[in-house]
Amino acid sequence: MFSYLVRRLLIGAVTLTLITFFVYGLIRSMPGTPLTTALAELDPSKSVSQADYERMKRIYGLDKPWYQAYFVWLGNLARGDLGTSIARKQPVTRLIGERIRATLLLTVPSLILAYLLSIPMGLWATAKSGTIPERTVSTLLYMLYALPSFVAALYLQLLFAVKLEWLPLMDITSPDYAQMSVFGKAWDLLLHALMPMICFTYASLAYETRFIKSNMEEVIRQDYIRTARAKGVGPVRVLVHHAFRNTLIPLVTLIGLTLPALLSGAVILERIFSWPGMGSLFFESLRERDYPTIMGLTLMFSVLTLLGQLLADILYAFVDPRVTYS
Amino acid sequence: MSTIPVEQPTSAPPVEAMPSRGFWVEAWQRFRRRKLGMTALIFVVLLGMVALFAPAIAGTKPIVTRYKGRLYFPAMAYYNRRWENAIFRTEDKFRGRYPKNLKENDPESWAIWPLVYQDPDRRIYEDDWPGVIPPNPTGHNGKPYLYYLWLKGWDALFDTNRVQEEFSEEYLAGPPPFNLFGTTDRGVDVFAQMVHGAQTAMLVGFVSMGIAATIGISMGAAAGYFGGAIDIVLSRLIEVVMCIPSLVLILALLAIVERPSIWHIMAVLGVTGWTGIARLTRGEFLKLKQMEYVAAAKALGAGHGRLMFRHILRNALAPILVPIAFGIASAILTESALSFLGFGDPTAPSWGDLLSKGRDAIREMWWLILFPGMAIFLTVLAYNLIGEGLQEATDPRLRQAGH
Repeated sequence: MFSYLVRRLLIGAVTLTLITFFVYGLIRSMPGTPLTTALAELDPSKSVSQADYERMKRIYGLDKPWYQAYFVWLGNLARGDLGTSIARKQPVTRLIGERIRATLLLTVPSLILAYLLSIPMGLWATAKSGTIPERTVSTLLYMLYALPSFVAALYLQLLFAVKLEWLPLMDITSPDYAQMSVFGKAWDLLLHALMPMICFTYASLAYETRFIKSNMEEVIRQDYIRTARAKGVGPVRVLVHHAFRNTLIPLVTLIGLTLPALLSGAVILERIFSWPGMGSLFFESLRERDYPTIMGLTLMFSVLTLLGQLLADILYAFVDPRVTYS
Repeated sequence: MSTIPVEQPTSAPPVEAMPSRGFWVEAWQRFRRRKLGMTALIFVVLLGMVALFAPAIAGTKPIVTRYKGRLYFPAMAYYNRRWENAIFRTEDKFRGRYPKNLKENDPESWAIWPLVYQDPDRRIYEDDWPGVIPPNPTGHNGKPYLYYLWLKGWDALFDTNRVQEEFSEEYLAGPPPFNLFGTTDRGVDVFAQMVHGAQTAMLVGFVSMGIAATIGISMGAAAGYFGGAIDIVLSRLIEVVMCIPSLVLILALLAIVERPSIWHIMAVLGVTGWTGIARLTRGEFLKLKQMEYVAAAKALGAGHGRLMFRHILRNALAPILVPIAFGIASAILTESALSFLGFGDPTAPSWGDLLSKGRDAIREMWWLILFPGMAIFLTVLAYNLIGEGLQEATDPRLRQAGH
């Protein structure tokens, strides 16, 4: 197990280096630099002298070609320094720390909610397979799964914010948030988070329910299920204890693979709801060509993706005793 | 899950007398029995027709016209701007206003017009077709005509004031401008944009998935078949591309070309979307190359290329087709998402672009969200259903189970 872990981590480190190297090259070859995009937004009458521009370039390490600058970035990373955002003049780690809370506020409840609902629904759908209520629910879930989240977000906004005016259209808090009581603040946050949270949840809910059901359908036809039924085990116990336990392996893999989405947020959804989370930060930093921030975020996403895969493989061994990594 | 009926046992089963049907014929027959899958397929075919004949459905250029003694097909300009005949562009300077110019320059001329006289790129003005087509309303006056009909149908029975309130004088005065789905803030017809947007969507789906499938299948086949060092290198490559946030990859690649056209977007979506297919192909190849029939073919002296593409790939194709169908859906989705974020091709009409205009005016112009959103949803749903149908029609495991 230990040698397996070491090997996986080493491969992961190589992959990470490749990814960051590649992304660094890519973003440096995008037209425009953080300096020019920042300058374009400034007062055009205030022109920056060539000398100033060169000095700024040197400070931010933009005077070197990207393959050299990449190793400077890598060296700083080895010392635990992700650099300072060029556009926002703040350390990248602090910037991420500020934004991550908003994203977690949406994704953690969504993830929990999706699993809490999808497991019972998947089991129910297996038990009632073929009946009219099950087919109705399955069809609805299927349609939900095909509904793109940004279309759903806009439809929800149209219905609940514009037409019915029950929920705020966008943003994370109301303008008078600071003056509210503690309870008022929580309520305000909840109201603002409701629509984005639904958008985050419904797609994975639909997907996971179908996933669980299709895995269950495969297991339920096995001989040992028939044996269990034949010896008089109750239907619920057969379903949960005999069948569902054996579908845990793919489910666990799925959990591992969805973990990165927890922190990455979703660019489009956060843009639609003006939610100040990771997705928005990512989008803004791409626009501003804010290299250190893009690199910090890319690094984080890739580490999470790789860790999620590793976690899925390790959990595999826990759930299925036949799997060993020795 | 719907049940696919088991073959009806005939009175005397002459099994050996029947020639065996091919795998694909059998799969098609199984697919055909699924109502949802077939409905989706018909929808996609219809959408393809709409896309193909978009200039004949909505446009301001005649499909056929006889002008100064010769026949022209000006609507072809919607496929490619350069295909517009020089006589209309430079010699007689029509500036896209066909009805008026045709009449003024040559009273003898005649033309066959598209079903709906609306343009995906510009507003219809008063002088476009004097006395026949009223100008398009702009801004939040450009409510969908469907909505008007709906209001009229329901409310005219009880309360005509509501219709009056909802629509400006302009709308009720003359003949309605027939903006079925309304207009944008600048008075461009939404229906025309959606019909021409179907072209973009279909093209993006097929071209980008074609590219992705070619790359994915060859990468996966090479990795799975040869194994060893090639597999290690290619698997790393797949992993690296998978781990890079797709938005970074797509936006960075798009930023490299100065002004991305819809073709650039397709290429980028193809170049970034092949990893799933490659992984699956690799897995299938790893599995299939152990089979006896492959060993037999090898013993008969088949070369690598023949083994890979004639023997293994043909048996791996069915499972690979499924993610391709889903991939088309996701390519359409990504294209509309890119247009929505403002990274699309501004010259190609796109459903996502309409949505993004709708988001900017969400309080006033709901029709910019409702109709394109529905179009994206239905298209994605249709491709997903086709993928699902393919899966159940080709996967022998699902078949043996009696489903």
